[in-house]
Amino acid sequence: MVEQLLQSLSRFLPETTLTVALCSTVVVSLFLGRKSQATLFVALAGLVLATWFSFDQMGVSETIFSGMVAVDPFSVFFKLLVGLSAILILLFSLYSSEVQSTLHRAGEYSALILAMALGMFLMAGASNLLMMVLAIELTSLSSYILAGYTREASDSSEASLKYIIYGAVSTGVMLYGISILYGLTGATDFYGINRALTEESVNSVALLVSIIMILVGFGYKISAVPFHFWTPDVYEGAPITITAFLSVASKAAGFALMMRFFKVSFIDANAVGLPTGVWTSLQGFEWNKIVAILSVLTMTLGNLVAVWQNNLKRLLAYSSIAHAGYMLMGVVVLSDKGLAAVLIYFMVYLFMNLGAFYVVMLVANKTGSEDIDSYKGLGHRSPLVSVAMVIFFISLAGLPPTAGFIGKLFLFAALLDATWIWLAVVGALNSVVSLYYYVRVVRNMFLRDPEGNAEPILFSTPQLAIVMLLLLPTLFFGLFYSPMVELANASVMMFGIR
Amino acid sequence: MLTEFGKVLLFLIVGAMFVAGGLIASWILRPNRPYPAKLSSYECGEEPVGNAWVRFNVRFYVIALIFLIFDVEVVFLFPWALVYRELGLFAFLEMAVFLAILLVGLAYVWVKGDLDWDKPVPQIPKIERDRPAYKQQTPAEPVAV
Amino acid sequence: MILESIVFYSLAVASVGSALLMVTRRNPVIAALYLILNFFCLAGLYLTLQAQFIAVIHILVYAGAIMVLFLFVIMLLNLGDERKLSDAISPRKIIAGGLSLALLLELLSIFVTGTEGLPEYNADQALQVGTVEYIGKQLFTKFLFPFEVTSILLLAAIIGAILLAKKKPD
Repeated sequence: MVEQLLQSLSRFLPETTLTVALCSTVVVSLFLGRKSQATLFVALAGLVLATWFSFDQMGVSETIFSGMVAVDPFSVFFKLLVGLSAILILLFSLYSSEVQSTLHRAGEYSALILAMALGMFLMAGASNLLMMVLAIELTSLSSYILAGYTREASDSSEASLKYIIYGAVSTGVMLYGISILYGLTGATDFYGINRALTEESVNSVALLVSIIMILVGFGYKISAVPFHFWTPDVYEGAPITITAFLSVASKAAGFALMMRFFKVSFIDANAVGLPTGVWTSLQGFEWNKIVAILSVLTMTLGNLVAVWQNNLKRLLAYSSIAHAGYMLMGVVVLSDKGLAAVLIYFMVYLFMNLGAFYVVMLVANKTGSEDIDSYKGLGHRSPLVSVAMVIFFISLAGLPPTAGFIGKLFLFAALLDATWIWLAVVGALNSVVSLYYYVRVVRNMFLRDPEGNAEPILFSTPQLAIVMLLLLPTLFFGLFYSPMVELANASVMMFGIR
Repeated sequence: MLTEFGKVLLFLIVGAMFVAGGLIASWILRPNRPYPAKLSSYECGEEPVGNAWVRFNVRFYVIALIFLIFDVEVVFLFPWALVYRELGLFAFLEMAVFLAILLVGLAYVWVKGDLDWDKPVPQIPKIERDRPAYKQQTPAEPVAV
Repeated sequence: MILESIVFYSLAVASVGSALLMVTRRNPVIAALYLILNFFCLAGLYLTLQAQFIAVIHILVYAGAIMVLFLFVIMLLNLGDERKLSDAISPRKIIAGGLSLALLLELLSIFVTGTEGLPEYNADQALQVGTVEYIGKQLFTKFLFPFEVTSILLLAAIIGAILLAKKKPD
C-alpha cells in the first residue's frame, strides 16, 4: 500500500508542484505589500517547473493512485499543452491593463490560475468517473471566479453568474448520467466500465440516456452547441487573459477527458479484422453519430453567428465555438489518425488563438475598445501588430502557408480516410463562411481610414517579443510540420489500450 | 427487532404524537373568541411597528459561506476518526496533508480580515444651530490644575 | 417487512409532495422551508437504504449549512411575495416542460424495463456499504487521492468566496 503510494507520488510530480505553488502564492500574497507582481512570478515559476516535470514523463505509461489517474503519452501531451498556455497567459497578464490595475488582488488571480491549471492537468489524466467530476469541478470553480475577477465591471459579474448557472446545471445533468452509468455497470473506473459492458449486455436505452447526459457535461466544457450559451457572454465579460485561457486550455482539457472517456470505456477490445489504428464501439453502440451531429451544429452555428458580431471578443468567442466543431470531427472517426489530427489542431490552435487574443488585448489596452470599428486604419497606426493579426486570422481561417492549414488538412484527411465524406464537405463549407468574418476585420485594419485619432500606436519591446513568440510557430509549423505530426502520432497512446 | 435508527423513528413518532396531542387537546378545550389586538403579533406589550422582514447585513453572508466550506471539511473528519486506529500513522499523514492545505485557506481568510466582525459605527446625530453670541469666542484653553 | 413498506411509502409521498409544494409556492421563504422538509424525507429514505453516512451528511450539510445560505440570500435580497414573476405561458416554458416530460419518460422507461442486465450485488455487502466505517476505509485507502484533491477544491472555493462576496473594495 505505502510503496504503491510512494511510487504513485513519484509519477505525480507536476501536479504536486502545482499544489505547492498554489499554496505558496496564497501565503506570499499574505506577507507581501498590497501592490506587487511577486505572486505572478511565483505562479510562473511553479508552472514552468510543472511543465518541465511533465516533459520528463514522456514515454511513461501507467495508472497511479489505484487507477484514479493515468500517466500516459496522451495525458502528458495535454499537460504540456495546458502548462504552455498557462505560462503564456501569465506572461500576457504582466502586460494586461485589467490585471495591472487590480494588482492588490494579484495573489488571488495567480492562485486561481494555478488551481485551474491543476484541474486541467487532472482532467488530462483522469480515468475514473469520480476523478473526472472532481477535476471538472476544480477547473470550473476556478474559472467561474476568474470570469468575475474584475468586479468593478458589471458585465464581468454577469459573465460569472451566467457561467455558474450553466455550469451547475450541466454538472448536475452529467452527475445524473454518471449515476445511471454506475448503476448499469457497477464500476467507476473507465477500464471497469469497459469490462462490464464487454461481459454483459445492458439495457441499451438506459445506456443511451446516460451517455447523452454525460455528453452535456463535456459539451459545456468544450462549448459545443447546444450547450454553448454561456460562451459569448463569458468571453466578452471576463478579462481578456482569462478569455484566452478558457478558449484554449479549458477546451483542450475538456477534449482530452472526453476522448479518453469514450475511447477507454466503449472501445471493443475483441473486434477483429480492423486495420491498425482503427477501433469500433462496443455492442454496435454508436456514440460517435451523436458526436457527429453535435459537430455539425457547433461549427455551423458558430460560424454563422460570428458573421454578425461587432465586438472582437464576441467574434473570437463564436469562432472558438466553430473551432470546437471542427475538432469534434476528429473524434467522430474512431481512429488514431482522427485523434492525432485533433492533437495537431490543438497545437496549432494554441498559438494562433492565443496570438489573436493577445493582439486584441494590446489594442484594447491602448484604445480602450474591443469594437471592430476601432480597428479601422490600425494597419497604418501599428503596422507590425496588424500584420501579426492578419497572419493569426489567416491561420484561424485555415489558409496556407500557415499552421492552421496543416491542422485542417490532417482533420479532413482523417475524415476522408474513414469515408465520412458528408461531414468533410460540411466542414469545408464552414471554413469558407469563416473566411468572411476574418477578412472583415482585416479589411477594417488595412483598407479603411482611421476614425478620429490616427496617431501611431507604439508597443514596448517585451510586448512585441510575446507577439513574435506566438507568430513564429504559427508560420513555422505551416511549413515544417513533421515534428508536430510525429509528436501527435506518438501521443495518441492511452494506457492499457492497444 | 429494532435497529438503532428504528429507535430514532419511534422516538420521532412518539414526540410528534406528544406535540399533536397537546395542540389538539387545547384546540378542543379552549374558547374561541378572536379580536384584532389578540391576533396581532406579540411584542412585549408594545404596538407592533412595520414589517417583520428585516434586511440582513451582507457580512452574515460571507461568514455563512466560510462556515459552509469548513462544514464540508469537518464532514471528512467523522469517517477518519472511525478508521484512525486501524490505519494509524498512514491516516494521520493523509489528514495532515488535507488539513495543511485547508489551513492555508484559513490563514488567508484570517489575515484578510474576513473573520473580523466590523461593528457598525454609531452615527450620533448632530444638531446644527447658531451658537449664542457670547459663546462665539474661542474658549480659553483649560488649564491643568 | 410491512413496516418497512409503510416507512418507505410515507417518506416517498412526503418527499414528492414537499418537492411539489416547494416549486409552486410564491413566497421564497416558504419554498425554502419545504425544501428543508424535502431534505429530511430524503435523509429518511437513505436510512431505509442502509446508507447512514449519506443520511447524516444530507442533514448536516444540506439541511444545515446550505439552507442557511439560501435563507440568507432570500433575506438579503428582501424577496417578499414574488408577484413579479409572470404567469404567462411563453414558448420557453413550453420547451422546458417538453424537455422535462421527455426526461421523465426516458427515466420511466428505464425503471419499467426492470433490473435485467444490471450487475448483481451481494446483500451482505450492500448492508456494509453505507456505514461510516466502510466509507472511512474506502476513502482513506482506495479513494485517498480524490479525497486530497477535495482539499484543493475547497481552498479554491474559499479564495473565490472571499474574492466575489467581499463588499469592501480594498
